Amino acid sequence: MQVTFKVYRKDPEKDGKPGRSNYTVDVPDGATVLESLFKIRDEMDSSLAFRCSCLRGHCGDCMVRVNGSSRLTCTAKVSAYTQKGPEISLDPLRNVPVIKDLVFDWDAFMWNKISTVKPWLEADDATANGESIAADAQMKDLRKVMSCYHCGMCDEGCTVLPVDFKFLGPAALTKAYRFVFDPRNQHAKEQLKTVEGPKGIWDCVHCYEADEHCPRGIEPTKRIVALRDEAFRVGINNEKVARHHKSFAASVKESGWLDEGRLAIESEGLTNVSGLMKLLPTAAKALVRGKAPLPYMHAKRPGAEQIKKIIEKGEAENK
Amino acid sequence: MKYAFYPGCVSKGGCPELYPSSVKVADKLNIEIEEMKDVACTGAGVLPQYLSDPINARTLAKAEKMGLPMMTICSTCQGVLAMANYRLTSDPDYRAKINREYLADEGLEYKGTTEVKHLLWVLFEDYGIDNLKPLIRKPLKGLRVSPFYGCFLRRPPEAITPTKESNARKSYLDQIIGIMGAELADISGKGKCCGFPILSANEENSLAMVAKHTGESKDNGANCMVTPCPLCHLNLDGNQQKAGAQAGKEIDLPILHLPQFVGMALGFSPDEMNVKRHIVSTSPVEKIVDMLT
Amino acid sequence: MQEFDVVVVGGGASGLRAAIAAKRDGASVALLSKSHPLRSNSAIAQGGINAPLGKDDSAENFANDIMAAGDGLCERAVVQSFVEDAAKEVFWLEHMGVPFNRDKDGRIDRRPFGSNSRNRSCYADDRTGHMVLTVLHEQFQRLGIPSFEEWFVTSLAVDGEACVGVTALGLKSGKLDAFAARAVILATGGFTRMYAPSTVSIGTTGDGQALAFQSGGHLMDMEMVQFHPTVFPKGQGLLITEAILASGAQIVNQQGAPVQIDKSSPRGKLSLAISGAAQNGDGSLFLDLKPIGKEKILSSFPQTNELVKSVAGLDSTKDLIPIRPVAHRPMGGIETTASGETAIAGLFAVGECAANGLNGAGRLAGNTLTESVVFGKKVGEAAAAYAKSSAKKNFPAAKLADEEKKLDALTSGNSAEDSLAKVHAELGRLMNEKVGLVRDAGGLQEALSGIKSLQQRHQKIKVRNGGRIYNYELTTHFEVASMLTLADVVARSAQARSESRGAHNRKDCPTTDNVNWKSHTITKLAQGSAQIDKKPVAN
Repeated sequence: MQVTFKVYRKDPEKDGKPGRSNYTVDVPDGATVLESLFKIRDEMDSSLAFRCSCLRGHCGDCMVRVNGSSRLTCTAKVSAYTQKGPEISLDPLRNVPVIKDLVFDWDAFMWNKISTVKPWLEADDATANGESIAADAQMKDLRKVMSCYHCGMCDEGCTVLPVDFKFLGPAALTKAYRFVFDPRNQHAKEQLKTVEGPKGIWDCVHCYEADEHCPRGIEPTKRIVALRDEAFRVGINNEKVARHHKSFAASVKESGWLDEGRLAIESEGLTNVSGLMKLLPTAAKALVRGKAPLPYMHAKRPGAEQIKKIIEKGEAENK
Repeated sequence: MKYAFYPGCVSKGGCPELYPSSVKVADKLNIEIEEMKDVACTGAGVLPQYLSDPINARTLAKAEKMGLPMMTICSTCQGVLAMANYRLTSDPDYRAKINREYLADEGLEYKGTTEVKHLLWVLFEDYGIDNLKPLIRKPLKGLRVSPFYGCFLRRPPEAITPTKESNARKSYLDQIIGIMGAELADISGKGKCCGFPILSANEENSLAMVAKHTGESKDNGANCMVTPCPLCHLNLDGNQQKAGAQAGKEIDLPILHLPQFVGMALGFSPDEMNVKRHIVSTSPVEKIVDMLT
Repeated sequence: MQEFDVVVVGGGASGLRAAIAAKRDGASVALLSKSHPLRSNSAIAQGGINAPLGKDDSAENFANDIMAAGDGLCERAVVQSFVEDAAKEVFWLEHMGVPFNRDKDGRIDRRPFGSNSRNRSCYADDRTGHMVLTVLHEQFQRLGIPSFEEWFVTSLAVDGEACVGVTALGLKSGKLDAFAARAVILATGGFTRMYAPSTVSIGTTGDGQALAFQSGGHLMDMEMVQFHPTVFPKGQGLLITEAILASGAQIVNQQGAPVQIDKSSPRGKLSLAISGAAQNGDGSLFLDLKPIGKEKILSSFPQTNELVKSVAGLDSTKDLIPIRPVAHRPMGGIETTASGETAIAGLFAVGECAANGLNGAGRLAGNTLTESVVFGKKVGEAAAAYAKSSAKKNFPAAKLADEEKKLDALTSGNSAEDSLAKVHAELGRLMNEKVGLVRDAGGLQEALSGIKSLQQRHQKIKVRNGGRIYNYELTTHFEVASMLTLADVVARSAQARSESRGAHNRKDCPTTDNVNWKSHTITKLAQGSAQIDKKPVAN
């Protein structure tokens, strides 16, 4: 079948400006996008730059956007994209600096961020006593998380990265999960603290886009949530976030539901004058419109006692 | 049709316009609601699962005891409850543990049969759009509306439930705009995050998201936005001016709650829908609606 | 110019392990890899990593199985040192984080694989290579070793009789640079991209072997190319780990009836058997995974299931999967000692690109990953020791300028109607047909003349694109050159060995000749052409 590929171009050795080249190729019915790219490069334009390695969906290298959605080109069948017409657009991923054509900067996009979480196990080296004993159920979860082949789809779909490129992103944070929850790891606590820093887990909006994007069902968002829950359990290492979470929990424990007014104030901190001052304009407007939930008007709900018991038990069981 | 009504915290707190407008709309549509008054906040994704799952299991068990499906009016409540429900229904051992350790004391037991639906889904799936259409008194011509779902109304997949409805659920808000007679001003950000969850931890990013989505909305010709989530509303409306100042532009986009939007089409006045409570003035919307006959 | 004690070329499992070992022994180390290490071919190894961990197993049993699979060509001393260290290395990998599957006692589980007489293949789902590579890369990063990723090595620098470093082109910057080293370790992987089809990643083009050969290194047993018996042959092809056979899968004909084949044969015999019994027009039998059971397929072979779906469009729990033996990995490579030393002082080699006598005429299934770590460690340590004890030599002053000129010459002038892709494709067909699973004198002669004419065509082809940043046309030019050089050696060695042994099958010499041929073939460059000698097996 005849297909026209409209490919994003950029040549750093010429003017470096983004452009597009159209290539019409004849490809066999079962062809993949990668095979089409090879054909274009071999027969039409040897300057076209794109990455690939394993050719078979194992390694994550060939990720690009096909008609706007991120895909591995080596497993993307052309016929799946020509239902509505014989044109397919190919672009680099979003949220990432592009070097040349479809080749983008993986270092800035992902590798450097993964390095930030100190991605290795610190464990006992000595092998004299054989392997550490572990239940397969624990290793199974690790195998799931470690099946990550760094394709970048989770980062590409992330809601935060377009507004803040420095956010560590789901891939790096999922990597951190892998270490924090490995029972053999001796520096799990430090690694958790590292990802509680700026641009880490507390900057995640847990929108679950990452889970929707991950082609291996690793559920990066759930892993980030698990890190957050673990941090809550051992003590959050971020002052403002700690105050916020503590206030929320106290609210629900004492009254059964959330006292937002109290939450806003306690998150800033009762002695944080400048922080509290920043709240005033919004609070004032809200008061005028009859919108402000006033802390001292927050009533306890029926059932609050039972709810409190449950929370206290939960806290005790998870110390 | 009767539901165990779960209004959440914000509809009576920071967005007190939402609760009365929801109740009025349900009443108008003859959707019977019995409010659950003695149940906890869902935890909203802030409380860790080891605390929120037990309190949500209690809520689900109580609805089950009432013999009614649950209805929510907040995307966040919907998502958190649905995710907890998924965990409790797909893992019988886990449910048994929660029942045993947390619910048994109160004489409760969750058997795993409760269904939780947002009002938006109720309208399409239980009420039926064909039953809704005849009740529209004021097609909202002149409103150009951008949809903003709220993340938890669209993700993760198991919370939207792996049913035949799950993909359709990602288009209900778009559809209802047209059904109410208004024009759809679609935005690519309609399913993205409004920034509310990081308002405390990273205000700059949070406000940047508000500016981004409302900005896209205005660029696409919208004169208002509708959202089924009061937490989104708090950020998109409550912090809109701050977001605009940070981004260096004026936004001035009225944000409507879903029940207010539907309510006005059903014939309620904007005032009856408590739009005057909003931070960003809704007078452009009010003018248009008041002029409709 | 950059200077290090040890420069490792190749970021797969062997290269990373060697770099780690050299660094821990106090050398200053740098790694150069033409792709990111995590994209290396090691990532696609699936079935397992062998170690004699079971109560029913021993280093001796392990050694016996290796010797049997090697069909008389293994060097016993190397096999011995390998089997003694295998368990230790696997335990180290586990400690460093590889999430091996566990048995009910919480110990590393082992599954049957190929012709291993005991269950000794440790595994992590069917993603063992990926897991091992990931953990090695983590430990590599922990040591802070400078990593030059997407740097393509264009030449070895040799000063007199010793290797003193390499020159390499940085794909991101487009700059050529010199890397001076007291010791260079080549860990560049196999060469079976010279076959079409093959099972390997696009970069498996034998760059290291070609570099060594052209600088005076020796290549050993190059005729020994292992075909993997169970490969889905359409498109790029998909290797299906034959661990599924040991778990119950059947080889069947088109009607679904099992074919009479001993599933536990060594790979060479299994490939021949499958090839011989094929009825299908294009040479395929089928795999039937149904006897394994859907649940076990999804839990033990999740990646197989995933990729059979995405690459082949089939459901491994229901459908028959067509398979054919396909060129997989070499036993042959740069001749080295057990500690990786080559004929060139200061040049070491390890992993797929090396031949140290372990594998003989047939590699035991599940040994490749073990080799990477056992010999990766030994060779890294040997290189570090060499660097410590050797005097510093000079990096030839004009080398970098010469390389620049060579690159310029490649990219100037216009090309004929010919193309690198055409040359590569024809080479692949030629090798598969004439130097494939079964060979004969006539076919090998045709192969040699075919290769020669392809080499002549290649010399005339210019790189049309003059840029240096991510110029894959340029790197492909080098890779095709490497493959042509090595293809010639493979065909010549196959022609020289007038017997059948292990992976090398000569239709015209069908028996094993232990009188004349219990020897390795050693190929070196002499007066510009390949010269083949025999080296008797030491044991």
